[in-house]
Amino acid sequence: MGHEKIMGKDIYFWNFLVLILFTFVEVAAVFFGGSIDLKIVWTILIGVGIIKAYGIAAFFMHLKGDPVVYTMTALFPISFVVLMLWGIGLSNPDSILGLPAWCSPNWDYAYVTN
Amino acid sequence: MSANLHDVKNTIWMRSVVIGGGLLAIGALAYIVMAVVIGSSYHHIWDEAVVNYDQVITDGYHTGDAEYDEAKDAKTEAHLSYLTWTTAGKTILIMTGVYAAFYMLAGFFNSIQPEPGHDNYGDGHEEHHGSASPILMAMGLFFFMYGFSGFVNSCKAMLGLDVSADFTGFIISLVGVTILILGIGNWWREDLSGYQEQIAYGKPFGGQDIRKAGMWIFLMSEIMVFATFFSSYLRMRTGWCTEWAKSAGRCDTVDVTTASDLLRHDIGTLMPGTINTFALIISSYTIVLALKTAKDSDWEPSKNKLLKSLFPTRQLAVRNYLIITLMLGSLFIVLKLIEWSHLVAEGFDIGTQAGSIFYIATGAHGLHVFIGLVVMLFLIFKADTVGYSKENKNWMGIEYFGLYWHFVDLAWVAIFPAFYLY
Repeated sequence: MGHEKIMGKDIYFWNFLVLILFTFVEVAAVFFGGSIDLKIVWTILIGVGIIKAYGIAAFFMHLKGDPVVYTMTALFPISFVVLMLWGIGLSNPDSILGLPAWCSPNWDYAYVTN
Repeated sequence: MSANLHDVKNTIWMRSVVIGGGLLAIGALAYIVMAVVIGSSYHHIWDEAVVNYDQVITDGYHTGDAEYDEAKDAKTEAHLSYLTWTTAGKTILIMTGVYAAFYMLAGFFNSIQPEPGHDNYGDGHEEHHGSASPILMAMGLFFFMYGFSGFVNSCKAMLGLDVSADFTGFIISLVGVTILILGIGNWWREDLSGYQEQIAYGKPFGGQDIRKAGMWIFLMSEIMVFATFFSSYLRMRTGWCTEWAKSAGRCDTVDVTTASDLLRHDIGTLMPGTINTFALIISSYTIVLALKTAKDSDWEPSKNKLLKSLFPTRQLAVRNYLIITLMLGSLFIVLKLIEWSHLVAEGFDIGTQAGSIFYIATGAHGLHVFIGLVVMLFLIFKADTVGYSKENKNWMGIEYFGLYWHFVDLAWVAIFPAFYLY
């Protein structure tokens, strides 16, 4: 993978440039976040986070090019992470009332409203 | 210099002592200049600002008056400037002290290597028979953590704080640290003498380098560790009425101030976290360059004069890329502690829910960076002595460490927006 050249530079160089560029976008989105809609800021932050995570994992950590077993190893805990974020992160009784139904763990929060 | 350890002379031990001394000198110089000279001048400015602030209050001004606000801002600014320089000086001194100790330790373990021709394993061949280091290091950590609370209380008591000492725990912790250091030392000794890469058999990693598979499984467990921080943060955060929640119309009165509320509104307060983000990304790239250089048998120095002087030979290029990575990681720690000192000065401490999750999560990440820096010292030592190359078949050490370092960068990609910006 490292031998591929684009305009005389290897893939690591271009990946580095992309990461730097998106970091500028990330910081700018938050710094000017006060004058932008909250949902747009979050969309930018999550989008940039995914792109940066892919750039680091795929190219710097060589997942793109390495046997697929390493990608599977990296992805294995993701299901637990999602479960933890959903089951613990979004389980606050005070917050859950304001969330859309599809992301509620559907626990009994009767004691909150009572 | 570029064969295996048997070609490394014991003069390397003396070299490591000299480099360790140099590191200590850099730390001492940084401490004297930053914490003592500049810090004391800012302390003087701070003292004057406090006197002026008290005078303004005595004169009957209060919140809302221009004189009062100006005096208060001047006092706060002077205090933060003082903290910036003293924290930077103290952090650099402590870090260089640790670096010097580990670098000299690496030199020491190098010096007690067997002589050329000596049979490492006593059975007539050099095949690797496994290592005792993991079990030693695990035991050391166990004892260290077992006595940790007593260790902390004893340290507090020795510093004169009103806490009763628990010397049993203190001694257990010290025993743990000793075993840990022995484990690390043994690991370095074995790695320097040339590691025969073992290949995994059976599913799912059959045919793969066993250390690489092990590193990925370790990283898998690390993902879970950080997931606990994020999920607990999210759980608490969604219940707080913060500036963001209020602006989204979810509550009326802000009842919790988060770190991001104190950091994100001003370019000055956001700057340390921003610089750290760039420092980690650049350091990810420099470690890739170190690996790429180590693997490249046809490597040639650049035609650019500056680059040629920085990276004259392949061995020095690998070492210098690692040193740049170390410097960027060190910058990360220094800036993080400066930022923490400012937050604590503004009243955002670990005693609150928002403070505890912020300091634990970002502190755990900082600890990962610091452990990475200590391991990187060993890589630098090895690059400086044995050298990394494709011919030596030892460049994998940089690759596996690189995986860890990239993971630390990856974790920051999530921590930075979640804790500093959101």
